[in-house]
Amino acid sequence: MPVEDTSTKRHIHLRDRVQKPAKPIGPDDSSDDGDGPKRPKVDKPETEELLRRMRRVDKDQSRRYRQRTGE
Amino acid sequence: MNRLIGIETEYGITLNTEKECDPVRESIELIKSYRREDFRPMWDYKGEDPFRDERGFRADTLHEHPDEADYQSMDQQHPESFVEIKSDLILTNGARLYNDHAHPEYSTAECQNLFDLIAHDKAGERILQQCADRRSQKLNKDVILYKNNTDYKGHSYGCHDNYLMRRDIPFDYLKESLIPFLVTRQIFAGAGKLGIESEKGMISPGSYQISQRADFFQVEASVDTMHKRPIFNTRDEPHADPQKYRRLHGIAGDANMSEYSTALKVGSTALVIDLIELRLIPDNFAVIEPTEAIKEISRDQTCRWQFRLKDGKTTTAIDLQRQYLELAKQHLDPNNGETDWILAEWEAILNQLEQEPMELVDRIDWVAKKWLLTTFVEEEGIKWDDPWLQSLALQYHDIDPENGLYYALEMQGSMRRVVTDDQINHAIHNPPKDTRAYFRGKSIDKFTNQMESVQWDHVTFNLNGKVVSVNMNKLADPEIAEKYNRVLDQAQTVEELINKLDIE
Repeated sequence: MPVEDTSTKRHIHLRDRVQKPAKPIGPDDSSDDGDGPKRPKVDKPETEELLRRMRRVDKDQSRRYRQRTGE
Repeated sequence: MNRLIGIETEYGITLNTEKECDPVRESIELIKSYRREDFRPMWDYKGEDPFRDERGFRADTLHEHPDEADYQSMDQQHPESFVEIKSDLILTNGARLYNDHAHPEYSTAECQNLFDLIAHDKAGERILQQCADRRSQKLNKDVILYKNNTDYKGHSYGCHDNYLMRRDIPFDYLKESLIPFLVTRQIFAGAGKLGIESEKGMISPGSYQISQRADFFQVEASVDTMHKRPIFNTRDEPHADPQKYRRLHGIAGDANMSEYSTALKVGSTALVIDLIELRLIPDNFAVIEPTEAIKEISRDQTCRWQFRLKDGKTTTAIDLQRQYLELAKQHLDPNNGETDWILAEWEAILNQLEQEPMELVDRIDWVAKKWLLTTFVEEEGIKWDDPWLQSLALQYHDIDPENGLYYALEMQGSMRRVVTDDQINHAIHNPPKDTRAYFRGKSIDKFTNQMESVQWDHVTFNLNGKVVSVNMNKLADPEIAEKYNRVLDQAQTVEELINKLDIE
């Protein structure tokens, strides 16, 4: 995602406050048709590209990752 | 809600090499990469006092993580002065970017509007990623930044939400009213963590919990932030008129990637502070052993989130949050700012958490992360304590949109957003118009060569050899802020600015 270089920043016309988003549509609440736990009725993210990105993750990066304590 | 709010985030930093990197060195160099050519150190450290406790005393010492003793000789080898190590930058959007101990920290401009704050929080990510890209090019190695709260080895770092509030609310009432909310807020504000740890290190690697920070709280209230952490932090640095205001310095929250999570976390907290200022929180919300309850809720695999109150009753996090929500619906004006959005979303989230939490995969960080990890476990047939899975949990927080797993979800349209990329890009260089951040940021933009020093509550100019300070304490009042900002916009010179503000 391109980010403006501070040395060549554009002067952006000042805008009003960020407006709150429109009221979102609620989740599908159609009734269940049987006993026992059901798969949630929600549009799940597409998995193919996600899995590709996850497989590229270095398996050892968490082992190597060490930080100093902050606040 | 109608108060100044802000977020300070410490980022994790590393390089993609086998060798361990010095995060202090990398953090210094990262911040330096964002300097303008005319950079001069200007942050005014006088008046900063993290030892001052709002209960009316000054702590003798601040506790440090035991591991810090191992780093003393390494720290002494850094040739830079204190000021150079801090590398403080005051940005034209009113924010502060600096090295806080061993983490790049971005403190947003003060905002009056909730969605301005979300845009500014995300602008911080963009700015830091730009720094990482520049530094990576120079090093010929990848600099990686994580917006999270742990290294899974017992070292935590913070994402602090800040709220300017009335000083005259009695401390004990404030603490007892807010702690139950903070203990239970994680059910929608938690960023999720794979593993249970303590400050000594990982205890149970394969257990998923909903909060990153819950493991690290050991006391109810104190001025500490780095060891023996409190749920309620008592640091007394209002950066405003100390007779009128306190700055509620919230250290209990997780660093959220989801814009929606951040908005609901901060928005609901701001409304609870409104209720506290109206003295509407009853005393029967008090939690027994809150440092235990916050961990039990985080680690509860059933998502029932039960715990006990001081009056002996058992309740759930959802029920207690509902009680806060009902008070807010009953007593607060929904037409005040973003209150209507916060009330509607708070209610919708609690209802959904009660029915089926995993339906919130498009809004809540801990749910989205758990869904990703579950999907990978099922696909690859690995176990939950496989180190690869913890690496994926960490990768959720990589702020590089090309690599981070949160951003993979966002880019395919799977995450509900509350601001646009245009709004975030605008916030990278532009302060909110309606707070004192505008005065700070635009002063840097227009008159940097004549500025002597900057703090949250004042800016100091050099006017023909005379040092003139503009005290911004009064600018916590939006009307006064607007007046000062208007004068600044119209002033062609510092002299004209000072004259029109009638400052001696």
